[in-house]
Amino acid sequence: MAQLVHAGGEVLRRRRQATEESSERRGLSRASEQRSGRSFWGSYSLNSSEAEREAIKAHNRKGYMLLRKHCLRKNNEESVDDHITSEEENPCVISEQEMQDKTGKAIPENQADESLCSSSSRDEDESQKSDVTHVEASRDDVASVDQSSVEDEEESMPLPKYSNAGGNIEAETKLSKDARPVKSARTVEDFETWQRIIRLDAVRANNEWVSYSPLQAAVTREKAIDSASAVCLKDYDHLEAHRIHHASRLVAILEAYATYDPEIGYCQGMSDLLAPLIAVLEEDDEAFWCFAGFMRKARHNFRLDEVGIRRQLNMVSKIIKTKDFHLYRHLEMLEAADCFFVYRMVVVMFRRELTFEQTLSLWEVMWADQAARRAGIARSSWGKLRLGAPPTDDLLLYAIAASVLEKRKLIIESYSSMDEIIRDCNSMAGQLDIWKLLDDAHDLVVTVQDRIE
Amino acid sequence: MAHRVDNEYDYLFKIVLIGDSGVGKSNILSRFTRNEFCLESKSTIGVEFATRTLQVEGKTIKAQIWDTAGQERYRAITSAYYRGAVGALLVYDITKKLSFENINRWLSELRNHADSNIVIMMVGNKSDLNHLRSVQEEEGQALAEKEGLSFLETSALEALNVEKAFQTILSDIHQIISKKALAAQEAAGSGPPTQGTTINVADSSGNMKKGCCST
Repeated sequence: MAQLVHAGGEVLRRRRQATEESSERRGLSRASEQRSGRSFWGSYSLNSSEAEREAIKAHNRKGYMLLRKHCLRKNNEESVDDHITSEEENPCVISEQEMQDKTGKAIPENQADESLCSSSSRDEDESQKSDVTHVEASRDDVASVDQSSVEDEEESMPLPKYSNAGGNIEAETKLSKDARPVKSARTVEDFETWQRIIRLDAVRANNEWVSYSPLQAAVTREKAIDSASAVCLKDYDHLEAHRIHHASRLVAILEAYATYDPEIGYCQGMSDLLAPLIAVLEEDDEAFWCFAGFMRKARHNFRLDEVGIRRQLNMVSKIIKTKDFHLYRHLEMLEAADCFFVYRMVVVMFRRELTFEQTLSLWEVMWADQAARRAGIARSSWGKLRLGAPPTDDLLLYAIAASVLEKRKLIIESYSSMDEIIRDCNSMAGQLDIWKLLDDAHDLVVTVQDRIE
Repeated sequence: MAHRVDNEYDYLFKIVLIGDSGVGKSNILSRFTRNEFCLESKSTIGVEFATRTLQVEGKTIKAQIWDTAGQERYRAITSAYYRGAVGALLVYDITKKLSFENINRWLSELRNHADSNIVIMMVGNKSDLNHLRSVQEEEGQALAEKEGLSFLETSALEALNVEKAFQTILSDIHQIISKKALAAQEAAGSGPPTQGTTINVADSSGNMKKGCCST
């Protein structure tokens, strides 16, 4: 994850200097992580040795590969269960048979390896000029070596699961005090449904990220088609190579996540959260574990029982009520005090309102705040540092409240129904100044946090 | 800004767009309200809406179209917005059998959460992808007849039948409301109105002017 922090930081530095406070905040959160010996997402601590990091990385990669393998197996099971109707939905029915005839190997390992290899940017550059047969030959070699290692691993390593206490690094993060899944919230959707919707969302992901990831933008069509077939992605004929590649990576990681956290599975909006991560992280397994870390908090917004999202909306409502009672009364009058009109902003964390670059900036500051909280920086010690707003787990919600408060005059004077607020909130795209928004959010934290949290 | 042109209409009709993820609801909406189509339109999170004012049977009707997220997970929030809707466009994708098979689930969704008098129109979208068709037009027609719904195949991409679909459902709604008004007037003992009599629909329909069905 340090990589992501770094990559995001690069973007920031390159395009626009962060506000002074935000910079200090980032620096401080890094320092505090070091003190606490725990990293941003819990991948590895910043004072760990290179060897330790490599070991963790290797372990995580294997965990991710197991998840991918599991996805492909499920895909094949479904194909057998429901052969006729699923032929269209599960292109793997055909490709599996074809591939098995050709290679004589079981497909899941092969494909899992393939998808893993597909994200190796160094190989990518070299293989750009090489022909397809070379790529396939080398893939077979890798497959035959890695197949056995994956099988060995399978015996010693359980399939990584969300909130599973044993066996994986996720269990080490103590973020999930309130993150216990609720049994009654079990979704009626199945994996097959998730796969279908994941593919749908993946092929319509846009290419805002391209200028931030030149390596991935330059992927060859052969390579892209390769990574698409590794996840059985179809319906991409209208897309350019880099978008096929991007879509395939979305599919691979989102499917793995749905397996890792079946309580949540896949919910539309999650691809919005993942896309920026895979743009700055070239390796699927790293992107996956960062996403899993990101989702520890975000997953509650996607729960079927809506407990998480309601808590968040409620908090936005409370911030507004505390800061501006007059506006709150007006919202009440319009039956909008529940703040459902900011639903989308909460769920995809401003991703639809902000540009790619603005999103990275906001998220990074938000994550830094959360990291500082995790490292145990209390409000009192923050005060001694004289650094303005203390860190909060809910900076996003303060930012959302700030964006609503900014429109107070319009809402109070001109709006006579909730519809108008919804329309307004849904059309904020391109209108927000992220730095002003962050300043306003921090001001809100300073003035109302005490009365809210 | 909301009070200038917005008030110049005879009726405000709230219509919901529902159906499985990826059938093209958002593009039907953007085609109808802005004459736009975007192949990469993102998934709808929660609800969004747009309006368009048009002439139907000599009346100025402001259509407020609510576009909803298709995924089952969002059903709780989207169904809250069925309240006050007088019409529903139930959309499936003619190239995706499953989206057609799910029509019945959507119908029961409407029965459970929407007004019982809601006017429903079934729409088979993506008719431009005829070579990938997996639901025949006759199948759609047959189901619509069985359920007593009006039916059209549309293509938001080619701007085919989208206008017609909305015109159809809006005039259906308008007729029902006019009849109701008439019935209410008869019940009130004034007898059948002669030609040219003003019908006061506001009392009986609850859809006259702004605000009545917009929350």
